[in-house]
Formats: sequence, C-alpha cells, structure tokens
Amino acid sequence: MPPPQDPLYAGLGQAVRIGTELLAALIVGGGLGWAVDTYLFGTIPWGLVIGLVLGLAAGMRSAYRSAQRWQDPPADVNKQG
Amino acid sequence: MEESPLHQFELQPWVPMSIGGLDISINKAVVFMWVVIAVAAVLMVMAGSSRKLVPGKLQSLAEMMVEFIRNMIMETMGKDGMRFFPLVATLFVFILFSNYIGLIPGTYTVTSQIIVTAVFSFLVYGISLVVGFSLHGVKFLGILVPPGTPGWLVPLMIPIEIISQIARPISLAVRLFANMTAGHVMLAVLFGLTVGGGLLIGWLPFVFTVAIYGLEFGIAFIQAYIFTILTCVYLGDAFHLHGHEEHAH
Repeated sequence: MPPPQDPLYAGLGQAVRIGTELLAALIVGGGLGWAVDTYLFGTIPWGLVIGLVLGLAAGMRSAYRSAQRWQDPPADVNKQG
Repeated sequence: MEESPLHQFELQPWVPMSIGGLDISINKAVVFMWVVIAVAAVLMVMAGSSRKLVPGKLQSLAEMMVEFIRNMIMETMGKDGMRFFPLVATLFVFILFSNYIGLIPGTYTVTSQIIVTAVFSFLVYGISLVVGFSLHGVKFLGILVPPGTPGWLVPLMIPIEIISQIARPISLAVRLFANMTAGHVMLAVLFGLTVGGGLLIGWLPFVFTVAIYGLEFGIAFIQAYIFTILTCVYLGDAFHLHGHEEHAH
C-alpha cells in the first residue's frame, strides 16, 4: 500500500477523477436531451443539442468544483503545520 | 494468442440456479466475491485479536488503514461524519481487497464487473439522498442552487446541477470499473504478445507487462481511495448543505 499522504498519489487521484467527471456529465446531459427528444416531444435534434451543452457546462462545473476542493485542504494543512 | 483479451471477463455459470426466472447462478465472480470477503474478514479479525499496545506487523497495518479511513472522513465530513465510518470502511476494504486479489494471476477482479461498482455507487448516492432529505427536508433541494448564484441564473443553474447530480453515481461506477477492466485488458494484450512473439522479440512486451503490472498495483490502491473519498464527499455534501462554501469564508 503506497503511503496515503504522498502528494503524488493525491495528485494522480485528482487527475483521474476530473476526467471521468467531465465525461459522465456530458453523457448524462446528452442522454437526457435525447430521451426528451425521443420519448416526450419528438423534437430531434434540439433536446440533444441543448442537453449536450448543459452536460458540458455541468461537467465543467463539477471539474472546477473538485479542483477547488483540492486546493482548499492543503491551505488548511499549512496553517496548522 | 487466439484468445481474446476480453475473454478473462466472461462468466460461465458454475452452479446454475434460478428463482422464478431470476438467474442467480454461482459463477467465478460470485466465488471471488466470497473469497475477498473471507480474506478481508480473516485478516482484520486476526489483526484485531491481539490488541497489543506495541502492535505487530499485521496489527499496525490494520491500524494504519483504520487511521487512513478516519482521516478521509474527518477531512471531508468533520467529526459528525464518523457515524458513517462502518459504511466507508467496508467499501474501502472490500474494493481494496478485490482490486489486489484480482491482480494475482488466475483470479477474478470482482470490481471489473460494472454491476458490482454500480450497485456500490448507487447505494452510496441513495444513502446521501436519504441523509440529505432526512436532515434538511425540502431545503435539501437547495443543493441544486449553489449559494451566490444570481437570480437570473437560477433557471439555467438548476438543469445543470441536476445533470451533475445524476452524473455523480455514474462517474463513480464507471471510473472504478473502467480502470480495473482496462488494466487487465492491457496486461492480457501485452502478455499475449509476449507468448506470440517468441524469444526474439517477446522480451519487449514482457518488460512492459512487468512495468504495467507494477503500475496496476498503484492503480488498485488509487481507485479504492478515490471511490472512498468521493463517497465521503457526497455524504458530506448531503450532511452539511453548502457547508463547504461556508468553510471557505
């Protein structure tokens, strides 16, 4: 087991995280848009387009948030140590 | 060489069983899930049985792990989060052990089945919703409007936040599954090349097989860590609604 406090592993963990977060939000957004198109209103392709844009925004937002969260704790640690 | 690198993930029923049309056959994945649980339980009980003040090797390893999980919870949720310790520790130990046991040649990686990781991630997300609504009631829906959002942005923010909430359990499940699957496929391909390449060129993929195997040791830990820390983050979000933003001030 690698040392948990190792900054390399913390950094690797963050990097791996952000990639999937971007992709998952994009897929969910596109999927919801497509589902609205196909099953609710029959407005292909507008739901898909709007869904993809919203999904991209959501992905960016969660990536930004996790990057922010990553920045905060080290600041606290520095204060204490 | 003629064997597909994906062949290792195929499951044949070993003991075919079904209840009312529901297939509950026992296959390799089920057996290795039991193995993981048994190994983890036996090791942890053994580590906890001596309770010496100056711990032995096994006991200090277990203490390190417990301390590590405790720190994760304290950092993300604070002291109140310790009530989730059993859940978080169980998830971490199970995922860690199944990732590492899966690295032993001839075994099966339970976490390379998306249904396993999906059950975990939807369980975690479901718990976080239950916790959020039981603690904050309807106000928990405020998680969809981050504090500091200008009024005119709210109609845009709500669909975006709904999407990012739905994406949470999906990205949690897919990340663990994809990493474990991709690593094992890569090892299978490289080792297939080694066997097919013969002595003349086969040493080259073999070197890479060994290197990637070493990398997979790190990945096995990192993925267990990420799954657990995100569990803590999601539970923490439900726990203190907008708490993170308050800390930042």
